[in-house]
Amino acid sequence: MHSKRTAIAAMVAALILSLFCLIYPVYVIRPFRYQGPRELAVALAVVRYRPLAMLLSALLAVAVAAVCRRVLTVLAAVAVCLVAGLSRINVYELMFHPLDRPAFQPAAQSKLDGDEKVLAVSIGGKARAYPIRGMSYHHVVNDVVGGVPIVATY
Amino acid sequence: MWGREVDGLRLTFHLAGINNQNFLMRDEETGTYWQQISGRAISGPLSGQTLPVVRFDELTFALWKSEQPGGTVLRDVAAYVSDYARKDWDVRMRKAPTVLSYAQPGLAPRDLMLGVAAFGAARAFPYDAVVKEKLVLDRVAGQPVLLVVGPDGQSVRAFRAPSDFYRTAGSSALMMDATTGSQWNFQGCSVEGPSKGACLESVAAIKDYWFDWRHYHPDTTVWTPRR
Repeated sequence: MHSKRTAIAAMVAALILSLFCLIYPVYVIRPFRYQGPRELAVALAVVRYRPLAMLLSALLAVAVAAVCRRVLTVLAAVAVCLVAGLSRINVYELMFHPLDRPAFQPAAQSKLDGDEKVLAVSIGGKARAYPIRGMSYHHVVNDVVGGVPIVATY
Repeated sequence: MWGREVDGLRLTFHLAGINNQNFLMRDEETGTYWQQISGRAISGPLSGQTLPVVRFDELTFALWKSEQPGGTVLRDVAAYVSDYARKDWDVRMRKAPTVLSYAQPGLAPRDLMLGVAAFGAARAFPYDAVVKEKLVLDRVAGQPVLLVVGPDGQSVRAFRAPSDFYRTAGSSALMMDATTGSQWNFQGCSVEGPSKGACLESVAAIKDYWFDWRHYHPDTTVWTPRR
């Protein structure tokens, strides 16, 4: 009887911990919502410790399901593992695909309209332009210009 | 635009969150979270560090190409081109809501400004007014500064102004300094006259929305054109 209550408590704890770690950061760090510096710091700390928290939750849930072997506990364990899996997804890179391998072409060959705005850098004698229309989608481009590693952001 | 080498470690950044309408990035090497707007690490092993500043200009492609014919341009990624912003997206964004306002008489949250943070002070110049004036002489923290609009009527650069400058309508030059009468081009270099070959010290002027500039520069002053 004792162990049944313990088992349920453990499962509930695993569910709550995993759901909190998944939802709280996304709740805080979302568009069109003001983020105060303290809650942002907390949300980011949750994100950074999340992989460990998820692993512990999943292990706990699976352990309970392995011992109890009731349908409900097995379903709950599956749910915890699902939540843990979801937390691996970077929703921001889902919304705005990263530009993993930036490619470039000489200015003369570009079909870009003369009116398009670009972010222009000049380093070590090398000039590079990042059209804003692409940057406002990808947001982050890791690059090397004139031997200097830079990150273009918009 | 930031350098991505910190303490000899080369970082690779990923988009990691929206942060008051700017964004957060995470480096895959240490898992540290950085603020895009300030280049500062706010959570993680490298917390407290700041990325090296990289100077950049926002120019029209035609103007940039004329200045740097040998330069290279980032290519569109075919798979996502349909998601890219339209040319006039900054005009359409003016009507989008903001989470912070800082509205005041004459300043709407999404008014476009040219923000200058230099010499320990911050000053915002309403973009439309600067474009109309073509050349603005002002002071930031007591230092004389000039903002000049390029031949495309859209790109703007800022320089330290050792003396008074006037806008001219030359072919390669667009301004003249009062002291030597030399002609200067949009890159801030003298192409004619006693100062030929010299270049003015460039000052970073960043295009930003008023609410965003004001949020990160609470002590900013605002330039207004003389009537």
